[in-house]
Amino acid sequence: MNELVRWLRALSVEAFDTLDVPLTLALALVMAISLAVLSSAGGEGSHVMLSQGARFVAGLVAMVLISRVPPTRLRSWTPIVFAATVLLLPLVFAVGSGRSARLWINLGLFYLQPGELLKLTVPMMVAWYLHNAVLPPNWRTLAVCALIIGFPVALIILQPDLGTGMLVAASGAFTVFLAGIAWWRIGLFAGLGLGSLPVAWHFLMPYQKDRILTFINPESDPLGTGWNIIQSKIAIGSGGLFGKGWGQGSQAHLDFLPEHTTDFAFSVLSEEWGWIGVLVVLSLYVFIIGRSLWIASNAREGYSRLLAGALAMTFSVYVLVNGGMVAGLLPVVGVPMPLISYGGTSAVSLLAGFGVIMSVQAHRKFMA
Amino acid sequence: MRLPKRRPIKNPYAEAEQFRRRAVVGFLGIALALAGLGFGYFRLQVLQHDEYATRSEANRIKPRPLVPARGLIYDRNGNLLADNISAYRLEIVPEQVNDLATTLVELRKLVALSDDDIDNFNSTRKATRGFWPVVLKLKLSESELATLAVNRYRFPGVEVVPYLTRRYPYGEQFAHVVGYVGRLDAADLKALSDSSFAALSHTGKSGIERFYEAQLRGVVGYEEVEKNVEGRARGVLRRHPATPGADLQLSIDVNLQRAAVAAFGEHDGAAVAVDPRTGEVLALVSLPSFDPNLFINGISHADYRALTENLSRPLFNRNLQGGTPPGSTVKPFVALAGLESGVRRPEDRIFSSGEFHIPGVRRGFRDAEAGGVGWVDMRDAIALSVNTYFYQLALDLGIDRFDQYLGRYGFGRRSGIDLIGENIGILPSPAWKRERYKQQWYLGETVNSGIGQGYWKVTSLQLAAAVSSIAAGGIRHPLHLARATRSGFNTAWRPLPLPPSESLGASAEHLQVIREGMEAVVSRGTARSIGFNAPYLIAGKTGTAQTISRKGNISVDPRSLPISQRHQALFIGYAPANDPQIAVAVVVEHGGFGASTAAPIARAIMDAWLLKKLPGGAPVPESGGKPAAPPIQDLPDDVPATEDASPQSDTPAQDESAKTEPAPPDQQQVPRP
Repeated sequence: MNELVRWLRALSVEAFDTLDVPLTLALALVMAISLAVLSSAGGEGSHVMLSQGARFVAGLVAMVLISRVPPTRLRSWTPIVFAATVLLLPLVFAVGSGRSARLWINLGLFYLQPGELLKLTVPMMVAWYLHNAVLPPNWRTLAVCALIIGFPVALIILQPDLGTGMLVAASGAFTVFLAGIAWWRIGLFAGLGLGSLPVAWHFLMPYQKDRILTFINPESDPLGTGWNIIQSKIAIGSGGLFGKGWGQGSQAHLDFLPEHTTDFAFSVLSEEWGWIGVLVVLSLYVFIIGRSLWIASNAREGYSRLLAGALAMTFSVYVLVNGGMVAGLLPVVGVPMPLISYGGTSAVSLLAGFGVIMSVQAHRKFMA
Repeated sequence: MRLPKRRPIKNPYAEAEQFRRRAVVGFLGIALALAGLGFGYFRLQVLQHDEYATRSEANRIKPRPLVPARGLIYDRNGNLLADNISAYRLEIVPEQVNDLATTLVELRKLVALSDDDIDNFNSTRKATRGFWPVVLKLKLSESELATLAVNRYRFPGVEVVPYLTRRYPYGEQFAHVVGYVGRLDAADLKALSDSSFAALSHTGKSGIERFYEAQLRGVVGYEEVEKNVEGRARGVLRRHPATPGADLQLSIDVNLQRAAVAAFGEHDGAAVAVDPRTGEVLALVSLPSFDPNLFINGISHADYRALTENLSRPLFNRNLQGGTPPGSTVKPFVALAGLESGVRRPEDRIFSSGEFHIPGVRRGFRDAEAGGVGWVDMRDAIALSVNTYFYQLALDLGIDRFDQYLGRYGFGRRSGIDLIGENIGILPSPAWKRERYKQQWYLGETVNSGIGQGYWKVTSLQLAAAVSSIAAGGIRHPLHLARATRSGFNTAWRPLPLPPSESLGASAEHLQVIREGMEAVVSRGTARSIGFNAPYLIAGKTGTAQTISRKGNISVDPRSLPISQRHQALFIGYAPANDPQIAVAVVVEHGGFGASTAAPIARAIMDAWLLKKLPGGAPVPESGGKPAAPPIQDLPDDVPATEDASPQSDTPAQDESAKTEPAPPDQQQVPRP
């Protein structure tokens, strides 16, 4: 009997020895908060919390498994994995389905959103390419990076899914940033980007233009997005310093707040837990990002360093875009609050990303 | 001497150092941004807390969409072609349902729901946000309403909602004109704002309903509803009323349309009647047709299969999407091109020997009359439809000038009608052939084009527009259906602006020659069977187009053939010839010669319009090749070109079974030197 217990303990230590304890604890805390928020927002007898819990479990399993894969092996798989995920993209045009855009592939068991996978594989590929290149990158190196990032991003934006496209582009851009691209080149690209905004406007879908216009003037669409933003601001503002209390958010429970389990879950948190709750969650996010960047900085090798760093920085974009959107500070873009909003592929792919970061941490000593 | 450029070397230590600096900068940037976000929340939650707390307390108001009534569609005399009637639909607000799958299963026990209904519901649900209601079933029956009313309490988030649905009182008669509305689908979301999408249930899918969707739809309004703490509605605070869609008046005449449909009898085909003075379409017939009412609230699989498996293709709009070689109906326009270009004078004569040869080439093109009709001038050539005359004329014009003039007369471009999906047909040209077949153009094809055979494709709309421009003295009015609009019962009809007309650029004398030729067609030519007892003067031109040869088995039922293999009898004309008030183009599938089937239908349409002879009232001349009057032997018309050496060439042209297809181009081709 004792033998069995000892064996089990040894096995579990063995199984989880690749996890980074501080990072794992912070992630677990955020996920616990998510489940608490969703159990309130989902309403009575709701399956939302259970279902989110199941996704977290799936994501954690993926995280543990990936953390056991040495980054060098991940590195050698990178081109194939990247090619496979890029090839999935055209598939959605043929067999995809989804809200006003074809984003999803029905796999029978669940819907797969290939754009989501690219948030992981694009920085992988850029890091793979850069780890052999001379850094800081010159024009030729940058051109190849632009190609690696631009092709899948263009396909995603065509689906059309502007939100995911921007996140994928950001994940690639952060890799290049961390590789040490010269500041004046960053300035040049930023200038070009800003200059091309008026051109980009013409290529937006009508509903995307609508969203930006309603952001500028929420009253223009009193039945649609504008009303949602007003309701969301009321929810957040009425939460006050300490919040209305768990399960007491009238905005969410009287159905004034739309999509309160998905895109607007953070509004529910703000309403019920107040600014203190917001501060706790934001601090956890800052810690997670900081710890991840720390791990990246200590990596012995270029590929894992760049990849881990880029994943950490991309994570912050989710927080800023969703947090800004529900508070009416940014236009409505369909980006979830990471690990808090209800939604499958996003939770799993985020946790998989942290698996990569933990693998970098676990294998830092044995690498060339 | 220059040294080779120094090759940069990878420096792992510098890179790690560089990364560390960047990571610090990145982290500081992120921390700063998140601090900014935290401050944004601080402002909302602490600084402005009182304001938002008050608004939250007072937040009992929810907007509810107000659906505009769709604009009605009338004919020119005020008969309703598309009406609104009230009905009830079943809606679900997905966000308010706990277990959607179970709810659907339970609902299926109470309401007849097809798999289509469920699929449509699911795809629309994914396309919209969860708090918008999604239609599960339209047009509930009385018994379903009663059952639902009793069981309503079991289904939170399921609503029975009154709405206005469409009805087409004339059913099949106007399916290809008015079109129909259908349920919104996910694709419509791109065209509509979130709120209109949520409020509306139908959009125009075809015909006038689709072309004028924006005007007919109206603008969605909303009302602010006060709710109590449990979320039940207590009253309406403010209304922003919906703007109803505009009513439309079409230039169509219900009675003329009916007369035209009746004139076709058992035949399939298409007819267009136009007022040549304005381009207003008076009747627009495509047969067979279908009942548009079937489509409004979702057509059943069985009904849809019956429509799509019918070889006559009732859903196919022959006027818009069809296309047939014009055959001899193109001859008046070729003649006009001859006059305008100066290649022919009206009195120039050509000898018709029964056979035509391109100089220096042995293979020939056949005339309609074996042995020919002797010397003919332009008027005779039109009246008797003499192929030789037009072979020579096309050859003398050359294909480039031929295309230039016929393009000006409206061939190969849109008639301008206010319907979506108009086929522009084919005006044969070397450029088109190069594009399509990657082959060069042959002189023989120019010759064949002169009698409307070969690559030619025209629609009945193009023919109607072209003949009405001759009737209107060389003015081409784009065809149009909508003539007036109004914003409600209590406002006056406002005429819609006429699309700008254009001139054919033809001189009055030349047009007069063509008109005399076309009058002669009916008074003494190929269509005299319809002319001899008419109380008004008719001008016209017959034609026959045959695409696939059916040697020796004419008894074949045309309905057993796909449309592309049916041969077409054509007639274009206008009346009264001295003061044109109606121009007509008729295409009858498998209708024998143009003179024997298409012309009597055209005559019936003209009678209905000019003499008010309507079906049910005064008798309409019979259709189907049996004129009411003692039959006059029709002149053989429009036998397509065949090469001289062909084994069929010695069968008599009068025998319909001997009608042969134009030989495939590769047998006739006479390469240009």
